[in-house]
Amino acid sequence: MDLSLTEEQEMLWKSARDFLASKVPKTLVRQMEEDERGYVPELWKEMAELGWVGLPFPEQYGGGGFNFLDLVILLEEMGRACLPGPFISTVILGGMPVLEFGTEEQKKAILPKLCKGELIMTMALTEPSAKYEAKAVQLEAHHDGDDYVLSGTKLFVNDANVADKMIVAGRTAKGHHPPEEGVTLFLIDRTAPGVSVHLLKTIAGDKQCEVTFDKVKVSRDDVLGRVGHGWEIVKKVMELAALAKSAEMQGGAQQVLEMTIQYGKDRVQFDRPIGSFQAIQHYMADMSIDVDSARVSLHKAAWMLSEGIPCRKEISVIKGWLSEAYRRVTAQSHQIHAAIAFTKDHDLELYFRRAKAAELYFGDADFHREIVAQELGM
Amino acid sequence: MDFRFTPDEEQFLKEVQAFLDEVLPPDWLGVDPDGHNEQADEDLHQFDLEIRRKLAARGWLGLQWPKQYGGQEAPMMKRFILEQELIYRGAPYWAISAALMTGDMILQFGTEVQRQEFLPRIARGEMQWCIGMSEPNAGSDLANLQLKATEDGDSYVLNGQKTWQTGAYYADWVILYARTDPNVKKHKGITTFLVDLKSPGVSMRRIPQITGHPAFCEVFYDNVRVPKTNVLGALNGGWGVALFGVATEKSFGYWLINSGRRDLQMLIKYCKETRDVDGRLLCQDPLIRSRLAQLAIELDVGRNLGMRLNWMATRGMPIVATACQLRPLGGSILQRLSHIGVQTLGLYGQLDEHSEWVRLRGRMKYLYLASVAMTIEGGTNEASRNTVASVGLGLPRG
Repeated sequence: MDLSLTEEQEMLWKSARDFLASKVPKTLVRQMEEDERGYVPELWKEMAELGWVGLPFPEQYGGGGFNFLDLVILLEEMGRACLPGPFISTVILGGMPVLEFGTEEQKKAILPKLCKGELIMTMALTEPSAKYEAKAVQLEAHHDGDDYVLSGTKLFVNDANVADKMIVAGRTAKGHHPPEEGVTLFLIDRTAPGVSVHLLKTIAGDKQCEVTFDKVKVSRDDVLGRVGHGWEIVKKVMELAALAKSAEMQGGAQQVLEMTIQYGKDRVQFDRPIGSFQAIQHYMADMSIDVDSARVSLHKAAWMLSEGIPCRKEISVIKGWLSEAYRRVTAQSHQIHAAIAFTKDHDLELYFRRAKAAELYFGDADFHREIVAQELGM
Repeated sequence: MDFRFTPDEEQFLKEVQAFLDEVLPPDWLGVDPDGHNEQADEDLHQFDLEIRRKLAARGWLGLQWPKQYGGQEAPMMKRFILEQELIYRGAPYWAISAALMTGDMILQFGTEVQRQEFLPRIARGEMQWCIGMSEPNAGSDLANLQLKATEDGDSYVLNGQKTWQTGAYYADWVILYARTDPNVKKHKGITTFLVDLKSPGVSMRRIPQITGHPAFCEVFYDNVRVPKTNVLGALNGGWGVALFGVATEKSFGYWLINSGRRDLQMLIKYCKETRDVDGRLLCQDPLIRSRLAQLAIELDVGRNLGMRLNWMATRGMPIVATACQLRPLGGSILQRLSHIGVQTLGLYGQLDEHSEWVRLRGRMKYLYLASVAMTIEGGTNEASRNTVASVGLGLPRG
C-alpha cells in the first residue's frame, strides 16, 4: 500500500495550483459568470500548451498519456480555483467517448485538435425530463437514406454555447425495446443547420444550455459507436464525469475548509480568535472529517479506474458522499464566516453556489445511492 | 498510489480469514468492538480466552514486537490486517488488544526487566490487562485524576478509586495512572504503574450497563502496595505515557467501522430475503434501499480514511488527528446504523433476543443500546473534535 502521490503527481499538483492561482483570480471567475462564453480562449490555449487539455489522451493523438488519477489531481486544483470553462465537457464528455468508442478516422479527426485546444466539445444528453436515465432520451433520430435526421430538445447541456462539436444522444428505435436499447450517439457541429443554442441562467453561473434540433441532418459516418448501443457509452461516460466532477468538488471543499480555518484564526470577537471557541472548533473538525475522508475515497476510485479495476460502486460512493459533504462544508463555512461571506465581496458564496450545482450534475446523492444499492445486490 | 496489500500481506490476510472460518461458529453473531459483551458474559469470556490461545499459538500476538520479547518482528501492516479482520468478523479482540496496547507501552517506556517479564507472557496470550484511567471526577478531564500513590520504602501505596473500567473483572493486571505529586500542575504529577489486580487491598464492583451487561467495574484501591520496579516510565511522567497510549488506541474509530460493515451486511441480507405485506422484498422499498445505501457509503468512506490512518502509521507519520477524525465518524455511523436497523425491522426491532418472534437475533436492538457508548468511550466525540481542531487544524486553544 502506498497512498502518497508520485513525484510527477506532486509536480502536476503544485504547478496547477500556482498557475491557477495567478491566472484565475476570483474577479475573473465572477466576470465569467456574466460572460456569454464563460471562458477565456487565451487561457484555454495556455492550458492546452501546458498539456492539460490532452492530459489523459494517448500521445499518438497529441495527448499526454497520463492516467485518470493524474487527471483527478488536476481537476481538484481546478475546483479549488473555481476555474470557469468547458474542461470537463471537452475532455470527459467529448474526448473520452471518442477515444474509447470512436473509429480511427473519428479519433484522428477530433483528438489532436482537441488536445491542442482547438476543439471544444460537449455531450447533449439530458432533456426536459432532466434525468440521467436511458428512458429520458427521447430526441428523435430517424433514418433518411444515408443520413439521420434529428429533431427535439436537449436541456442542461454544458458549454454548448461554445462547443465546436457535440455528442448528441438520440433515439433511433422506439417501441418494444427496453429503454437502454435504441439510443444512438451522433457527432454534430454546433453550427450545423437546424441546431440552435440558448443559454440558461443557473445558480453557479456556469454555462448550461437549451439546444434544439430542427431536422438536423447527420451522416452515418458521424455516428459514435454502434447504432442503437449508445447508452452503453453514455453510462461509461457518466461514470467518468461523476468522478471528474467529484474531483472538482473535492478541491472546492478543500479550499473552503482552508479558508475557514484561516478565518477562525484571524477573526477576533470577545477579545479572542473565534477559532478558539469550541462550538466553532467542532464545526471545523466535522468539516475536516468530511473533506479528508472524501479525498482518500476519491483517490481510491480514481486509482481503481486507472488500474482497470471495476469501480462503479466506488465512483458512486464518492459522488454520493461529496454531493452532500461539499454542500455541508460550504454551508457550515457560511455559518462560521457569518455576514461577511454572504456578500458578493467574498469568495465563499462562489463555492456555496457551485456546491449546490455540482450536487445535481451527473447524478445527485439519491441517484448514486441507487447505484450503490444495485452494486450491493439489492 | 496503490491501495493494494503486498503479496505477503495479501497472503497473511487469507491466513487470517481461513483461521476465522475455522474458529468462529458458522452462525456467529459477533461480539462488541468495545469488548462490552465479551467482558460481561462468562461464555463469551471463555471463548475470548480460547481465541487468544489460538492466536498466540500462531504467533499472531505481538506480531511486530522484537523476537527477543516473543514477537515476530513483522511489519506493522500485518497487525492492522489481523485487527481489521478480527473486528470485521466480530471475533473477541478487545481484551487481546488491551494487552497488546499495554505491551506497546511497556516496549516504549518499560525497563528491560519489565519487557522481559511482561511481553513474552502477553505474546503467549497468558495475561489480560485493563486500563485504569477514568475516575468519578476524571473523565474527559483525565489530568484531574485523584487516585493517590504515596512513596513508602521500595514501594508506592495506592489509595483511591477508578471507574468505568471495561474488563477489570476478568483482568489480571491493570495499567494504572495515579497522582504522585499533588503540588505541581495537574498533568505533571501523574505516574503510570503496572499493578497486579490480585494485590491485597484491591476490590471491585461490577456496574450493569444499558445493555444489561456488567462490563464496567468500579475498582477501589485501599492501601495497595506496588513495588517501585512496577513504575512504567519516569516518575511523574505518566501524562506522556497516557498520550502515547491514547495514540496507540488510535484505531478505535476504524474498529467501529469494520464492525459496522458486518452489521450492515446482515441487515441487507435480511432485506433481500424478507417481504413486506404487499409481497415486495424490503430491499425493493425505495426508502429502505436509499437508507441502506447511504450507510454503505458512509462505511466505505470511513473505511477508506481508516486505511489511510493505518498506512500513515506504517510510515511513521503523525496520526493523532486522523485517528480522532475517525472516532466521531465511526461512532456516529454505528448509531445511525442501529437506528435504521431497528426502524427497518419495524415493531420486531424492539424485541428481546430471547423472544420467539425475534428477528436478526435481536442484534439491531442490542446494537442500538450498545452504540450509545460508541461516541463516548476512549474519548468522547467532543474530546476527539477538540484534538482534531488543535492538533489537526492548528486552531488556537480555548
